[in-house]
Amino acid sequence: MELKDKIELLAAAAKYDVSCSSSGSSRQGKKGETGNAHLAGICHSWSDDGRCISLLKILMTNQCIYDCKYCVNRVSNDTRRVMLTPDELSFLTINFYRRNYIEGLFLSSGVIRNPDYTMERMIETVRKLRCEYHFHGYIHLKAIPGCDPRLLIEAGRLADRMSVNIEMPTGESLKLLAPQKNKESLIGPMRFIRDTIAEERDSSRSFRSTPGFIPAGQTTQMIVGASPENDFRILTLSEGLYRSYQMKRVYYSAYMPVVSHPMLPTVDKPPLLREHRLYQADWLLRFYGFSADELLDADHPDLDCLVDPKSDWAVRNYDLFPVEINTADYETLLRIPGIGVKSAGRIASARCVRALDDTNLKKIGVVWKRARHFVTCQGRYYGGYFRQMDQLKQELMPYHAAKRLQTDDGEQLSFFQEILPQSNLQNLFLVKAGET
Amino acid sequence: MIGCFGYRCDDTFEGLLTCIYEAYYRHEIPEHITWGNQVQENLLDCSIQIPTDHRKADKVLKSIRAKISKEALGHALYAYLSELDDIGVWIYRYLRLGWKVGSSVDHHLCEKEVWMVQEASRKVEGEANRMLGLIRFRELKGGIYYAPMGPDYNIVSLIAPHFADRLSDQQWMIHDVKRDIAAVYNTKDWVIATVRQKQALSPGDEELEFQQLWKQYFQSITIQGRYHPGLQRQFMPSRYWKYLVEKN
Repeated sequence: MELKDKIELLAAAAKYDVSCSSSGSSRQGKKGETGNAHLAGICHSWSDDGRCISLLKILMTNQCIYDCKYCVNRVSNDTRRVMLTPDELSFLTINFYRRNYIEGLFLSSGVIRNPDYTMERMIETVRKLRCEYHFHGYIHLKAIPGCDPRLLIEAGRLADRMSVNIEMPTGESLKLLAPQKNKESLIGPMRFIRDTIAEERDSSRSFRSTPGFIPAGQTTQMIVGASPENDFRILTLSEGLYRSYQMKRVYYSAYMPVVSHPMLPTVDKPPLLREHRLYQADWLLRFYGFSADELLDADHPDLDCLVDPKSDWAVRNYDLFPVEINTADYETLLRIPGIGVKSAGRIASARCVRALDDTNLKKIGVVWKRARHFVTCQGRYYGGYFRQMDQLKQELMPYHAAKRLQTDDGEQLSFFQEILPQSNLQNLFLVKAGET
Repeated sequence: MIGCFGYRCDDTFEGLLTCIYEAYYRHEIPEHITWGNQVQENLLDCSIQIPTDHRKADKVLKSIRAKISKEALGHALYAYLSELDDIGVWIYRYLRLGWKVGSSVDHHLCEKEVWMVQEASRKVEGEANRMLGLIRFRELKGGIYYAPMGPDYNIVSLIAPHFADRLSDQQWMIHDVKRDIAAVYNTKDWVIATVRQKQALSPGDEELEFQQLWKQYFQSITIQGRYHPGLQRQFMPSRYWKYLVEKN
């Protein structure tokens, strides 16, 4: 079989892995050898679905002994099975790299024979790249759950990043949809990787040179929408993964029905908006100093689909606002809707030399449409006055969403019936009633 | 001064710095500082040609480092590479403010000259970072890797060091087709050269095969159910597609 056909099948089978980032490692190149690593990562292309292509993301093989219900490669699925040899894989990677198509390799695989054998073959590929081709670019390896810890250490010495996919947000869903995996078999390797990273850090303090162990840390991924968990549960889990497992990233993948099975939900479209909101909330956890229970709670377990999570939080905590832009500390600035990490930094810098007013803020890159309701500039308030919080919320929506809500067109409203929980919809009608 | 009064210099950064030296010591604020292909279309144009003087340029350079900051020098250089209209004068005004207020000049975001220079610098840096990923090398007969590109700003000198470090064992050439300049690397050092000859380049034996494989990969990695060309364009504007293997 030709290489091209193998790429076609194995890239298509790897595409549901979300992670493609090449960040977290910084390595200088060596004279006469190939490759370095750029701390912030570099994107090389964007595919037709708008996702970045940074690494050659491919499966070693799509053969698998497992039968996870949601997976295209499950053993009971009738598809063509192919395999790339370590030679082919390393040859392909190095030649793509020399042409600046990619930043490195992201190698994953179905499980052949047993986890140990699979992991060994993957390690062989990476060793070929590192030792024979003297390749210093980025390598992301998927850890095969259930393989020998010794192999994980070996892999971690060669790779920049490793990941184990947690797949489902809870153990029950996992049991239902991936009967041969259990929570422990997924959390186990994660814990092992975390502890090894910590050990390495300690020993690198006492010895001058220790071989590195995944300098770019570990990541994980879960499927959203295939099981009944709410957003609160998912975000709490992510927060735990960031805090106690030092994950570099948790990825969310909107459930895409690739196979039909009675146990899987039938959806027409993947829940892309929900995925988007989860990423927004994830950013709030990592860069904006929010915690999961501030954003959501048991009474309010799902992220709002009409406004972003920060705006939603600000509406519910409107008593904290408005804040004075010239005196508020940086952490408070970050919590204002319409102000991000960049503009908060600029505000903090610019107000050292003069007091800021609204024109300055607009110029600095603040989204004034949203921010004006939450700030004062030198004591002056530029926002609106609201009798009901839903009116404020409507101001914060993207223009097209707010406009659609205002029309009396029956068809338009039915669109919202689908995506809005009933209570939200009622609130929106209340707003309309209040206005007229 | 009647009419349109400005300075003209050659297209080096030293040329611009010499202009700044002259303007500062003549106590003038020129209406424009132009170089290279930038034209001031004005009948009353009475630009003064300023000959580049390395001693003067060096003096300005040292003074920026000592009296303002290294960051300000970086912003000025990047803004210069943007080749935007009128950026010469904005750089001059930015530096004048810098000499007045010292290293805090970058806090003065609300002054137009600071904003203009920082924006230009940010755009240039952004495009340079983007190009690190978006250029595509083609292996030619003879083993030289050749990458044509058509960037908005003059960034070839900014991205060359990255590739000299990364692809240090291969000979390559990054060609800015818009400006007819190229960074050329011979596995030891890289230089910027003017490229005049435009002959058809013949690809190496395996080259087309790898291009096919890459195109196949690019196609297979797309999830059809998430098809979103708008998002793709947002990250990878179509003006860059001309030189992308996977988009042709």
